[in-house]
Amino acid sequence: MSRSFARVIRDLLRHWSARWALSVIALLVIAAIIGAFLHRSSAIQADIVRMANNPPSRAHLLGTDQYSRDLLTRILSGATVSLSVALLSVVLSMTLGTAYGLVAGYFGGRIDGFMMRLLDGFLSIPRVLLLIAVLALWRPVPISGLIFLIGVTGWFSISRVVRAETLVARRLEYVEAARALGTSDVRILWRHLLPNVAAPVIVSATLAVGNVISLEAGLSYLGIGAHEPQASWGSIFHEGVAYFAGNWWVVLFPGVAIVVTVLAFNLLGDALRDVLDPRQLHGSDTPLVSSRALPLSSRALPLSSRAKRGI
Amino acid sequence: MRRHIVARLGQSLIVIIIVTTISFFVIRTAPGDPFSYTSSTITPAIRDHWRQQFGYDRPIPEQFIRYVGSVARGQLGYSFTRREAVSRALAEAVPRTLLLVGVALSLSVFLGVIVGVLQATRRNSWLDRGSSAVLLTLYSLPDFWAALMISLLFGIWWKVLPANYMVDPSLHDYMRPWDAFVDRVQHLILPVATLTLLTMAAIARYQRSAMLEVLPADYIRTARAKGLSEREIVWRHAFRNALTPMVAILGLLFPALLGGSLFVEKVFSWPGMGLLASEAIGGRDYDLVTATVIIGSVMVVVGNLLADLLHMAIDPRVRE
Amino acid sequence: MRRLRPLLASVIALAACTSNEKAATSSAGEAGGTLIIPTSGDASDLFPPFVGEAVGRAIQDMVFDRLAEIDTTLTTVGDKTFTPHIARSWTWAPDSLSIAFSIDPRARWHDGKPVLASDIRYTFNVFNDPKVGSPVAPTLTNLDSVTVRDSLTAVVWFKRHTPEQFYDVAYQLVIIPEHVYGSIPVEQLHTSELTRNPIGSGRFRFVKWEAGKRIELIADTANYRGRAKLDRVIFVPSDPATAVAQILNGQADFMEAFLIDQASKLDSNTFARPIVIPLLGHVFLSMNRFAPKSKTTPHPIFSDLRVRRALSMGVDRESMLRNVFGNVGRLAHGPFAMNASYADSSLHAPPFDTVAAKAMLDSSGWRAGADGFRKKNGRPLRFTLTVSSSPTRRRYSVLLQEQFRKLGAQVDINQIDGQPPYLALRAAGDFDAMMDGFSPDPSPSGIKQSWSTSGIGKAGQNALLYSNPKVDAELDSVGTAFTPLMMRQHASRAFRQIIDDAPAIWLYDMVVVNAASRRINVTGMRSDGWWANIADWTIPPDKRIDRDRIGLATPKS
Repeated sequence: MSRSFARVIRDLLRHWSARWALSVIALLVIAAIIGAFLHRSSAIQADIVRMANNPPSRAHLLGTDQYSRDLLTRILSGATVSLSVALLSVVLSMTLGTAYGLVAGYFGGRIDGFMMRLLDGFLSIPRVLLLIAVLALWRPVPISGLIFLIGVTGWFSISRVVRAETLVARRLEYVEAARALGTSDVRILWRHLLPNVAAPVIVSATLAVGNVISLEAGLSYLGIGAHEPQASWGSIFHEGVAYFAGNWWVVLFPGVAIVVTVLAFNLLGDALRDVLDPRQLHGSDTPLVSSRALPLSSRALPLSSRAKRGI
Repeated sequence: MRRHIVARLGQSLIVIIIVTTISFFVIRTAPGDPFSYTSSTITPAIRDHWRQQFGYDRPIPEQFIRYVGSVARGQLGYSFTRREAVSRALAEAVPRTLLLVGVALSLSVFLGVIVGVLQATRRNSWLDRGSSAVLLTLYSLPDFWAALMISLLFGIWWKVLPANYMVDPSLHDYMRPWDAFVDRVQHLILPVATLTLLTMAAIARYQRSAMLEVLPADYIRTARAKGLSEREIVWRHAFRNALTPMVAILGLLFPALLGGSLFVEKVFSWPGMGLLASEAIGGRDYDLVTATVIIGSVMVVVGNLLADLLHMAIDPRVRE
Repeated sequence: MRRLRPLLASVIALAACTSNEKAATSSAGEAGGTLIIPTSGDASDLFPPFVGEAVGRAIQDMVFDRLAEIDTTLTTVGDKTFTPHIARSWTWAPDSLSIAFSIDPRARWHDGKPVLASDIRYTFNVFNDPKVGSPVAPTLTNLDSVTVRDSLTAVVWFKRHTPEQFYDVAYQLVIIPEHVYGSIPVEQLHTSELTRNPIGSGRFRFVKWEAGKRIELIADTANYRGRAKLDRVIFVPSDPATAVAQILNGQADFMEAFLIDQASKLDSNTFARPIVIPLLGHVFLSMNRFAPKSKTTPHPIFSDLRVRRALSMGVDRESMLRNVFGNVGRLAHGPFAMNASYADSSLHAPPFDTVAAKAMLDSSGWRAGADGFRKKNGRPLRFTLTVSSSPTRRRYSVLLQEQFRKLGAQVDINQIDGQPPYLALRAAGDFDAMMDGFSPDPSPSGIKQSWSTSGIGKAGQNALLYSNPKVDAELDSVGTAFTPLMMRQHASRAFRQIIDDAPAIWLYDMVVVNAASRRINVTGMRSDGWWANIADWTIPPDKRIDRDRIGLATPKS
């Protein structure tokens, strides 16, 4: 990466979408911090007879649930859990994926072929199905286990991208020079190749956060993700969905929170991509690097012209 | 060329073997076994008898070999929650999921491509920016929430379409053929709409950037210089070339659609693979769960394979 | 052609009716209608010896018959209140150790074959066989054997003369045909295809079972007791949200256990109305006197009677009831449901008094610390509350957690998904406090299973290992009381003692709000099963809708 951090930020802030996204995320982080403190009080039910299942009112801006807990408070403390789970598992995914991709791309040949076959295998298992099977069969899974499982099933597509970038980058002059000089492989990987792959990883990570928030919410809705006392937005659904024909606010507001959050991360990811790798603005390489929809096939997609020359 | 196809087939087979192994071990090593948790009518003696009969008292590697053997013979096991062979349960459920996913995928491609092309040709116009915003929002919706909201809005509050099951539970068997067909279509609309909205957004975005890559190309400028109409340029030249990468992602959208369809099936009670899987998991029906994960993965592998082959057929550049 | 079918059906029904001596009402011509019933979960078994859960029981009772049927008062003593079904009449031996049942010669299985005495014998043998593992088997301990005197007379032999011996035979044995199932070896019954296609003798016959999708029953038009007045009943497994929405939309006709806090919607709904049924069950929070999994080591918190009493008095049971049940709830008075024949309304659980509760906790050594939670000798007042997957009980557990927090006790909730793991924990005594409940049979012998020393262990339900010789004595007398009055007196004394021992906090009587379509005339609901007289439910012709007019046609597919 040839640009400095400050320049990146400046270019980023030129996009109105990025400005909006960053402010939403900042609000979210504040909400999560507040939520962490509010956690205790969200468990208190004041008057369980009269205040249960109240629609939005002046006293309770977003209404109450069946235990007469304030929904706004629950959403705030849910933000803490949802964001933490997403951030931690994405960090795990990116670490694993980058390492795998770097090794495969750098060593090439047979090793690369074998690793990619294995990766094809992993990619073919529908992630949601496997997660549901594991989480349900080993239930109850503590939140650390949830983070681990989501992280460990989410590194496949990023490793493909990293591998592709590594394949290109290892032909660069200074990398070849370093090898000629006898620098150790690890040092080359760490100092020369890693910075080259950083850009798509950052973009991918941002998009992945949004994706994981969605995924974790879905798992919690099924009852196998986060659960009390670490309730996330999805677990608010799980408790309330049986009543949703009547208590629409319990389903609407956490959902809006999720949508806004995911939207913010998606916008930020798009903007980052524009800023960090302008060649990909029109490239069909990674227009939608998101583990949600499109894992890449390293063979099938035409790579951008620069990469093609490298291979 | 043929060697390449054979190689791809071989790769797919290896992948399926890897998937089967992973699924089996992950699921079988879960705590408990299917017989601890069946109904209260089962005495310990019967439990032990079954464990022995179905081989659950053997060490896991041995169980694996037996399982591979029976899968090779086409027997995927016995489902205790449904009291029928797993293959029969799947044979009923998989086509229903394929129907849902197939219709959704086709509609998504159709709509997504059109929207993407329109966006690319009117780049940075109000239409482009406005629809991009809408599409990005759709893309950001969680599948299960979208399903819940749609079923709430159109199935419960404003009752226009049925929001549950595949057919009317009482009347369908007794309807005349035309009414029965209409019934099926009606029940298909809401779940398909949910899946389509989310997938179409992804496809449109992809198509837009693919078109944007192609439009400035030399041969397009040549065509313009030759005096061809804009419409001809867009649809006959640019579109054809931008379609190539589209084909590639078709196969890749499959796993995402399968995952999304799981939540959609649950919310709409659509009796497909996803619903079958979640019921099986809840009931600890190990054979059914393993088989579902494997079949789902096989579907993904086949989808990838078909997409790759199609891509090879269309784009000579990719043939090595 | 479509119009002819219902007409044809009516003609057949009319013909069947005239040959039926019991056709008191002339509503055969009015017979018709289709019921859609969403259920929570699919049936796991339809074959009577295996049936254990609610959906299977409903269908079993509709497709099969018993020798005689209990009435809506659910009196279990004697035989006067029972209505003859398969057995047209019965004769007691002078020593009361056997009863000879005379089978109604008109009784037929749905495949046309007659019901014979050998079927009764076969039924008993299957239900009793340990290899079958029927949940009904423990209730048949007083039955010794069944012999065949002639093709239409079966003699049931008992081990002892008890007040409920007739009830044991008539209520528990659901008669199954030997000629259909007799050839299958007993161990293979569980996996046999035939047991998924029940052939019975009831007023409904089985049509088909699409696993996970629906179970369809149709009226047995030639039935000896008269055809069911509905044409068709379809059970559709659904999740609660879907079912609620469908009831409120008129797309479904009956739902058991409608979500209680949505019940107010039913009052003003155009399609459905609420039917509140008190049940025989009651729910309580049991407190384990012993350390988890132990039968001897005392529990650090709950072994102290004062602590148990204090906690009982410290929770606002009335408010919790109102929160969960709205206005339809019923507070529990003690270890019984007010609806049972042995209930005593003069008994009461300890009153709600937080001041006294806190004082009692203080005096038993549990003092509050700075954080509000109590400690005794360095040990915090903290315990786990185990709860099953029942949504109502889960709600209560969350509310209780808060109530206990106000008293200074810290409670962790352990939610168990699925009945079998919950039952396993319960049987092993692996809990501190547990949301428990009993849904007993109408018979008071169920109390012994739960609260007497003989109920401890695998054969009984006494998970708390509760044992008090005074209670044992009274409950024994209950079992030998030949009049209802004496039975109630002994039961009441037993209950009083149990309440004093405070092994549990008595929370609520099980009440169920059923939702039924307004166009159906619902009759004869019993506390042990809303479906008891479903064969007599009618839909007046002027209220029928599209699906009611399908008639008795068989499905095209």
